[in-house]
Amino acid sequence: MDRIRGFLMRPRRPGANVARLRRRKQLAAYLHRNLTKLTSALFIIGYAWMLLIPIPLLSRGTYIDENALQPAQVNTYWNWGNVHTADLQLYQLDGIRERNFTSEQRAEFFRTEFSKLGLAASIQNYTFSTSKGTISGNNAYAVMSSPRAAGTEAMVISASWLSTAGHGALNLRGISTVLSLAAFLKDYSLWAKDIIFIISDDYLHGMHAWLNAYHGTIPSNLHTDPLEHTSGVIWTALNIDYSSHSFSHLGVFHEGLNGRLPNQDLINSFRLISHYTGGVPMTVYDHLEPSDAVDRLPEQSVFPSWVPPFIQQSPQLQQYGYRVRNVIRHIGYQARGMCSGVHGLMHQFRIDAITLFAVPADGPHGFHALGKIVESTLRTMNNLLERLHASFFFYILTSPGTFMKIGMFLPSAILVSVAMLFKGLGEWVTAGWVCEMSEASLKGNETEKPSPAKGTWRNRRRPLLSALIVVVATHVLGVLVFNLICSRWFAKYPSFLAPAIFVAVSVIPPILLPLLSTNAPEAAPTSMLLKSSNLCLASTVISIMSLLNFSLAAMLAITMGVPLATSYTSSSTMTTHLRYAGYCMLAWGWLVLVPGEVESAIWNWEVLGVWFAPFICIVYAPLVMQAAIVCLQGS
Amino acid sequence: MSILVNEGLWLLDNNIDPYVGGAFRHSPLLLSLFSTIVPPLPIIWALSDAVGAWALLRIWRARQGLSSLKGTGSDVENLIVSVYVPSAYFEYAPNAPHSYLLNPYLLLPSLALSTSTFENTLTLLALMFASEGKVSPALLAIAFAVHLTPSSILLLLPILMVLLSSPVSHLASPRPFHGNLKRIPFLFGEFTLYWLVLVGAACIIAGGSWNWVRASWGASLMLPDLTPNPGLWWYFFTEMFDHFRPFFLMVFSVHLVIYILPICIKFQHDPLYAAFLLVGVLGTFKAYLTLADPGLFLSMISLFPEVHGYLRHPIITTLLHLHAALLLPLQHVLWVSEGRGNANFYYAASLVMGMAGGAGLVDACWAGMRIAVGDAKVGAEEKVEGKGKVMWEVVQQ
Repeated sequence: MDRIRGFLMRPRRPGANVARLRRRKQLAAYLHRNLTKLTSALFIIGYAWMLLIPIPLLSRGTYIDENALQPAQVNTYWNWGNVHTADLQLYQLDGIRERNFTSEQRAEFFRTEFSKLGLAASIQNYTFSTSKGTISGNNAYAVMSSPRAAGTEAMVISASWLSTAGHGALNLRGISTVLSLAAFLKDYSLWAKDIIFIISDDYLHGMHAWLNAYHGTIPSNLHTDPLEHTSGVIWTALNIDYSSHSFSHLGVFHEGLNGRLPNQDLINSFRLISHYTGGVPMTVYDHLEPSDAVDRLPEQSVFPSWVPPFIQQSPQLQQYGYRVRNVIRHIGYQARGMCSGVHGLMHQFRIDAITLFAVPADGPHGFHALGKIVESTLRTMNNLLERLHASFFFYILTSPGTFMKIGMFLPSAILVSVAMLFKGLGEWVTAGWVCEMSEASLKGNETEKPSPAKGTWRNRRRPLLSALIVVVATHVLGVLVFNLICSRWFAKYPSFLAPAIFVAVSVIPPILLPLLSTNAPEAAPTSMLLKSSNLCLASTVISIMSLLNFSLAAMLAITMGVPLATSYTSSSTMTTHLRYAGYCMLAWGWLVLVPGEVESAIWNWEVLGVWFAPFICIVYAPLVMQAAIVCLQGS
Repeated sequence: MSILVNEGLWLLDNNIDPYVGGAFRHSPLLLSLFSTIVPPLPIIWALSDAVGAWALLRIWRARQGLSSLKGTGSDVENLIVSVYVPSAYFEYAPNAPHSYLLNPYLLLPSLALSTSTFENTLTLLALMFASEGKVSPALLAIAFAVHLTPSSILLLLPILMVLLSSPVSHLASPRPFHGNLKRIPFLFGEFTLYWLVLVGAACIIAGGSWNWVRASWGASLMLPDLTPNPGLWWYFFTEMFDHFRPFFLMVFSVHLVIYILPICIKFQHDPLYAAFLLVGVLGTFKAYLTLADPGLFLSMISLFPEVHGYLRHPIITTLLHLHAALLLPLQHVLWVSEGRGNANFYYAASLVMGMAGGAGLVDACWAGMRIAVGDAKVGAEEKVEGKGKVMWEVVQQ
């Protein structure tokens, strides 16, 4: 007690506060002196981390988190008789394909098939209007009422007319699976949730129209009538994509619109069921694991053919290469906000959904295995008492059995964003000071280069107004460009308008820049303040985006990180113009370089509501243009 | 919130006591205002904001020692200069109303028809009357504010001090409080009188019952409704075991009150600045925080141009507010609409909001005290080891 009292009553050293202040000052000075080293280190660690994302060490094994799911714990009843039904359906569908049925005729056929089973079936007609014209189609759907519950919840089994496989492949076997499953499932009384069967037209827009009509969120460019039959809240959905003759693996596609992912429990349950009930190995996408790919064609190999054989045969590198492919495919879907299949449209309505893709092969699996797996998965989904919530929503599936938690990949983008923030704050501090040469030292020897050591450091004002005008103007320009590329004119003459817009947005800033009132000579130059605000804003965008859509944040960290941090005003006109052109290319080059991507991004925005296109035009490109203007201002 | 007001109006129309059932938490005065005098039209909120901006302008004039009737010739120019709030925040912001009307934290609650707009306007009116030395209107305004949100009681003492001394800036030249302290009991008595009259009126309007006291004032003390908001209270009390609740409710409430005396004593030479800091305390730690509370603090910064040069980290505060303003709606969507996130996501965003509020408050406190020390003109020639070193030496001095 006395010791405590003695500690509290001890005489204060008079210099303690001064020492504390001095220490703090020294720390700040040390940090500022080493700011370049610090930010470089953060950049390097961040980018290196991105490269390390596919290494197996950073992933961990998947597991089931929701106890109610009980995957692969039931006896299945799907048998060869049901396979025969599916074969008969397939025979009819082949007939439909050969007779080139129209969309209405097909939907009518599906509706009749559902009605024959005694299900409440109907057709939905829809029309989307886009800048490129209208898209219309017809969905057929049927609702099987749950024999055990009041129908407050529902599960969905769907198949689209076109397959993910592309090249106009038709999803005939997927559709016959859905039709024969409808006949099979209605004979059992164990369903506690309604089951909705949907055969959607085309690839994506059919299901999109159906979901919007079901949830009453019909956008202004969609014309459709309310659905005739409805059911409860849809919790989970399986989309079946089976276009080839037979399959060797079932691939899972899980990315949804705008970077949403389904709860991981769904994928993990499906993996266990596929393995133990159906005897079919699961893969991520249609990528076969290196151990499965030995007898495959060279184009399915992990490595391109020019890679030396000793690398191709190293198991560790094969594993790394396999995971790199998975991660890149994932980033390719997620960064652009695209969905990897029809299931992806459902995530925005809080439906956890995946697509089962039958990986084309000569064998050994077919309707028998697929039916059993879907039946067992439905039984697992039927067990749910609340929405899937226990497992992860933010993850990267690096291989069928392993995934990365958010803490294992998020820091890579955040570190880059922090480096940009430090750079921006450092620029802000630097802008507040100017070194003045004293008269005497200048007169002393005029030839010597003025060095900061000889001058007096003086505080200077940092008026932000002109920098903010530039920031606002670039974003307004972005909004204008976005409206332009969504217009009918752009859809009509893309090959003429795209280069024209590119030239316009590159030429306008240098023309308008002289109109901007520059800061007074005694105040900080506009370019420094612009660079500072630009880096801080870009860093904010990256760190906020990393939560919403990691892949997009990582892409932004790569495209904006170092380029924005290294924008500077150069004294040589040549270098200035080259740098300016480089930044323009980085900001708006996609208009000219990837017209296909532009078209699909606009389509995704207009029909599916993917905000990738507006984000690029209104946020990303203006930020890069601000860096370009920083380069211009020095000259 | 307007939805709650509408709820109360509906219950009243259907002859149901609005204070039973926990759906309605506003004062009977507000309810009677909207049920008998005017319907809750958006124009009321616009008017209220206009009055708030006008009050801010009058406070600024009183603080600068200008007559309130003096010409408004410079207003157009000022409008152009302070069109952008953050720029007004970094820079010399000569005039206040634009920073009030264009502050997104104040604009959005007004668009959402939140009653916090009225509370802010009443607070500003109280400060305005106090700055102009009008005793009774000031006390009536603060009585109204306290009646609507009991936590406004924090501002009572600094407002009394402004009434007794002057609103003119003495930050750079601290001196002991020179007002006549003997008047304080009379002023406080007058305030109590107004407050009691309001309570009586509310009781009469509420039909003689005291239900409304528990439902409206009790809410900020007992925290019955844990709907997420940008403040710091709700998450603690969702996580807390029930038997700790009374103790921590007491701790959180007392924590607010504890700031009054230290701030009023430290800034006894400039009570308006003390009021400003207490608004900042409310805007960070209040129960049922709305965006308008930190918004009022940020807008009031423009009243004190003399301290702007002494703020240590305005850009950090701005960035924190930028992050908070982006994260709050985003995390709310992730949690509530999309179901991908959970309560911790939104709470993390409200922590960022709390950090932003705290950073602004600490910085304002620092700048208000730092200005009294004056500028140290220390040349940097003495230490010339390196560029960065020299720079920071000067920054810290």
